[in-house]
Amino acid sequence: MLSMLFLGGCSRASSAEHQLIVTGSTTILPISEVAAEDYHTLHPEEDVLVSGVGSSAGIENVSSGTSDIGTSSRELKDEELDLGLVDTPVAYDAIAVIVNPSNPVTSLTTAQIKAIFQGKITNWREVGGLNLPIGLVNRDEASGTREAFGKIVLDKQRFDPTAVILPGTGQVRSVVAQAPSAIGYISLGFVTDDVKAISVDGIVASEKTVVSGEYPIQRILHMFTKGEPTGLAKRYIDYVLSADIQNSVVRDAGFIPITAKAVNGG
Amino acid sequence: MAEGLRPDPMPEEREATALSVRGDAGTLKLVSKATYFKEAALKNLFLACAFMAVAAVALIFVFVGYRGWPVFTEVGASNFLFGREWLPTQDLFGILPLFVGSIVVTIGALLLGTPLAVGAAVFLSEIAPPKVRSVVRPAIELLAGVPSVVYGFFGLLILRPIVADLTGGLGFGPLTAWIILAIMIVPTIATLTEDALQSIPNGIREASYAMGATTWQTISRVLLPAAKIGIVDAIILGMGRAIGETMAVLMVVGNAPGFFRGMGKPLSTLTSQIVMDMPYASGLHRTALFGMAIILFLVSMGLVLTVRLLSRFKEEGL
Repeated sequence: MLSMLFLGGCSRASSAEHQLIVTGSTTILPISEVAAEDYHTLHPEEDVLVSGVGSSAGIENVSSGTSDIGTSSRELKDEELDLGLVDTPVAYDAIAVIVNPSNPVTSLTTAQIKAIFQGKITNWREVGGLNLPIGLVNRDEASGTREAFGKIVLDKQRFDPTAVILPGTGQVRSVVAQAPSAIGYISLGFVTDDVKAISVDGIVASEKTVVSGEYPIQRILHMFTKGEPTGLAKRYIDYVLSADIQNSVVRDAGFIPITAKAVNGG
Repeated sequence: MAEGLRPDPMPEEREATALSVRGDAGTLKLVSKATYFKEAALKNLFLACAFMAVAAVALIFVFVGYRGWPVFTEVGASNFLFGREWLPTQDLFGILPLFVGSIVVTIGALLLGTPLAVGAAVFLSEIAPPKVRSVVRPAIELLAGVPSVVYGFFGLLILRPIVADLTGGLGFGPLTAWIILAIMIVPTIATLTEDALQSIPNGIREASYAMGATTWQTISRVLLPAAKIGIVDAIILGMGRAIGETMAVLMVVGNAPGFFRGMGKPLSTLTSQIVMDMPYASGLHRTALFGMAIILFLVSMGLVLTVRLLSRFKEEGL
């Protein structure tokens, strides 16, 4: 990750109008990276360099000028509001709460999930499961997913400080897939058959329930620019918002097109 | 030619004159001017190499110190060094749990790894027939060449589930890190211990056997005590490797920045916390990370100094 930062820094020095640097959320990588490759294929003279460094780093990079676009899976914090950043929403994302497929628990309430991630419920028996200590898997503080989950589910209260912290979505998923007692959270787009997404307050995470607003743990993915996007940045963002990308790349990554709300009338 | 006859050559010419042969009719110079310059250039090249290493250490120390020093004034030395909570989002920068974590992980790894490594070294140096040695030694040296991220993967995918079954948690924690690090420090300790054993003159072994001692008695009563300073050296260098290891530890230790609560409970260390936080840290948080780097730097400096002092003891025959 660090080397990508340096890479971004170095290229920036020699960057001209035909090179765009996009850094930020690792959640948005499947969209921004594929869109960048496709854009380069369509416009070979223009290059879009994408790296995943976490939402906070992306916002810091775009406001300091080391990136042209900062991608983020969270909203701006209060202290980031006056940085002059312009927000372009590019997709919906729901955060799925995942457990091992062997876990008999299929549904939890938001309150139960909150208590579990605060370390107040420590055994699956207490929520109707087996007599097994709960293995909490949390994300690192750089993670936009953690930020969003903490805000939506925990009301910004503290996570259980004794939980295992893993630095990536893939690691959370593989550990939950292996360990019968584990519980974690990842973007809906990254849920595979190895893990089981449980329904929250009786609502299964899906495009329909996210767009309708029923599924409670959801958020919007952003691309931030310093001021209104212009030039290559604008052309790239417009491309990301085009039906081409929204209906194929965004959907393939498991996210929900930002245009879906209008279509579904939610 | 005339220079060669000068009784007291200038210091920088000494090498050149040393290479010439004094004959009856003046000096017959065996080196051409080109060779002389080549020699001088090589000398300076090697000097530059040595200087680069020293300069790199000095520059890193100055840079890390410069970036990290403000933490002692802005957070306060005692809040930083003895603070019990690492919560950067709430401006709590206590590294005591992380420091304890580093120590716990290192000590455990040494306790597991040292007997293994010293045993392997004794076997290689004193017991193994040459054929076996020619297989075992490269295998141990190969361990040193395995990238730490590979150890991390091994720990994450193979060891973690086993430890999870043993401890009842998720398997992230000191125990997993101990096992991984123990394997990682074996090459360091084993090679240096073997060197120490090999440097004992054979006469000492022969004397021991001549007294009727068995192989085991010779090893435990004569050879290991004779090599003890070398072995302590080896352990200290292994300790340096363990305390500084980052990637493999990060992947298996669980990274929960609290105090040690048990072998199977998540823990964090100075090195792994730096890597976890570096991508997003800014302001005072980033300064605190550099402050942690200062601590690590001082610890490894202390270890190297200890090794130096021990070597001096050895030379003085204590």
